[in-house]
Amino acid sequence: MYIQVDNAKTFIATGGKPFDASLPSVVLLHGSGTDHRGWALQARWFAFHGYSVFAPDFPAHSLSEGSALTSIESMGSWVIRALDAAKVTKVHLVGHSQGFLVALEAAVLLGERLKSVTALATASAIPVNHALVETAQKNPTAAAEMMLQWGFGNQHQYGASAVPGMQPIGIGARIMANNPLATDLAACNAYTKGSERARQLASMSCPSCVILAGQDRMTPKKEGLKLAQDLNTQARVVEETGHMLPMEAPKQSLSIMKTFIQSVEK
Amino acid sequence: MSKSSFLGADTIALHSGYQPESDHGSRAVPIYQTTSYVFDSVDEASALFNVEQGGHIYSRITNPTVAVLEQRLAALEGGAGAICTASGMSALFVSFFSLCSAGDHIVSAAQIYGSTVTLLKHSLKRFNIDCTFVDINDQTAVSNAIQDNTKLVFCESIGNPGLAVSNLPAIAKTAHAQGIPLVVDATFATPYLNNPIEHGADVVVHSVTKWIGGHGAAVGGVVIDGGNFDWLKSGRFPTLTQPYEPFHGMNFWEEFGPAALAMRIRCESMRDIGAAMTPHNAFLLLQGLETLSLRMQQHVSNAQAMVTWLQQQEAVAWVNHPDIDADTHTKTLFPKGAGSMLTFGVKGGRDAGAAFINALQLSSNLANVGDSRTLVLHPGSTTHSRLSETDLVAAGISADLIRVSVGIETLKDIQADFSLGLRAAAKIVANQVEA
Repeated sequence: MYIQVDNAKTFIATGGKPFDASLPSVVLLHGSGTDHRGWALQARWFAFHGYSVFAPDFPAHSLSEGSALTSIESMGSWVIRALDAAKVTKVHLVGHSQGFLVALEAAVLLGERLKSVTALATASAIPVNHALVETAQKNPTAAAEMMLQWGFGNQHQYGASAVPGMQPIGIGARIMANNPLATDLAACNAYTKGSERARQLASMSCPSCVILAGQDRMTPKKEGLKLAQDLNTQARVVEETGHMLPMEAPKQSLSIMKTFIQSVEK
Repeated sequence: MSKSSFLGADTIALHSGYQPESDHGSRAVPIYQTTSYVFDSVDEASALFNVEQGGHIYSRITNPTVAVLEQRLAALEGGAGAICTASGMSALFVSFFSLCSAGDHIVSAAQIYGSTVTLLKHSLKRFNIDCTFVDINDQTAVSNAIQDNTKLVFCESIGNPGLAVSNLPAIAKTAHAQGIPLVVDATFATPYLNNPIEHGADVVVHSVTKWIGGHGAAVGGVVIDGGNFDWLKSGRFPTLTQPYEPFHGMNFWEEFGPAALAMRIRCESMRDIGAAMTPHNAFLLLQGLETLSLRMQQHVSNAQAMVTWLQQQEAVAWVNHPDIDADTHTKTLFPKGAGSMLTFGVKGGRDAGAAFINALQLSSNLANVGDSRTLVLHPGSTTHSRLSETDLVAAGISADLIRVSVGIETLKDIQADFSLGLRAAAKIVANQVEA
């Protein structure tokens, strides 16, 4: 569906079913340079199993218009305005990589609307090599390829796909090459409040779930474990998978996500 | 141009899409000779049917062995995804079927495979899909042929059997300027010689039966979704950008983006038409693909040598190969050589040509190309026999044209065989003179 946020046409993927704000909403936040399609399979499951799905393309990403946001904090407050525009009341925030940094910022602003947070392949800080940011500014395609080469795990580098016949690296490359990757990476690099926000959520007794990838070379597992410690929760690790966890292991990641969110709803 | 793999082409051909499976460690890709797959639970079955989960349901739709070939070919061509089909013709059909509906229109190169002409000119016409045939390298003609209801521009990267090389960047530019995708049948080129997506194509089709298989033992086709075309921005493709009722209103573009076309073909064409590749054929075709680059080097080398040799033979009237007096776009698109197909005519016309073919002992007179063995055919009386005189001329087929798919045998043996044929042809000419 399309909604207006900050006077910009904004695309929200709803998992193939009309959005119903009265249902518990699973809010899926994408990572740097990507879009809602990284959640394609998980979104459909939630949408067809009693939840409403709210998976936005951030401003200037893929199907959304507007100007790219330049800080994680501004992305977090944008999420709140987007949720307000759709009148979302019960929020399970889920973020992949940069998307979870945004989720941390949004979570502390949501108040009683927040039901849980779920982190996938991320950490409380995501420092980005300056050379990668520069490459993304000058040659987004080259930067996207560098990230995909690092981002996907071994099996996907050898052409594996959770969806028969598809090439996730090729799909990711096409999405990332057209999105404001440099802006996203610079925002990640500048963000330093992740650990503080995670501890804040823990002090609020916010239910949280951390899902890490065994072959993650972008947000290494040890950094994700620190995040889990800050959130005061246990981390689950999907082995044989790289940083692009939602696309590489949709079945395994969904299994953990749905078990957790269902337990919160009970 | 975005990549789909960071491996080299030869490594992709050998490894992509499959790593030894955990149960038995089979090094070769196993043949999953099964119609169907046991579900863990009713919930899992439901998730698979509703595309909430990737996996296999029924081998008409997907199969693990076929999927390896699909993923390997998608990676080799630099695409977002691929769907293998029962044949090259079914790959073309599902491509057209997925992009066009009744009342739509296609612009096609005139110089293409005879059965594709029939599909575009007669079979699709029955469903009110029209086609305008043009000289594909005349961009004014292509542009002028595009109508409000045009859904695609189609060509072969190397035309069959005229062997004209399509100027892909120029054609793509013309098509894209009007919001139209370029669909390319790249069978004669193979991914080894040319990757059309790099040169602007949006969809690539192969008859995998040919050089990719190479052994002449299995028929198959593939559609590769390039993933670069913006179907929404074009505004011409409701099949991809509007809700699809049979899948609970699925919007392929919104949900799958760069793989929208591949997913539409998977969800609709494979389900409703069912032109599926068999797992055994996929296995056989994978065996061929593994050595594609090595074979293509020998194919091209032999073809180039045969061109030179034929040009020196007294009984030969003319020889055609794209590398002869190649224009700039041919050299740019085919730096390793423009394939291993050649055509020639013998002096004495059709009768002498028939004598040539009948005298051959090593080369095979049959209706296929791209086998590792040398193949010959007289298209005017076989593959293109259903075309009118006008269509034959448009397709670049003269009455004396002999089509040769040069194999990878020892060169001197091919030449010795052709010498037999040329001597037989020369006798016909001598008899004609005496008469």
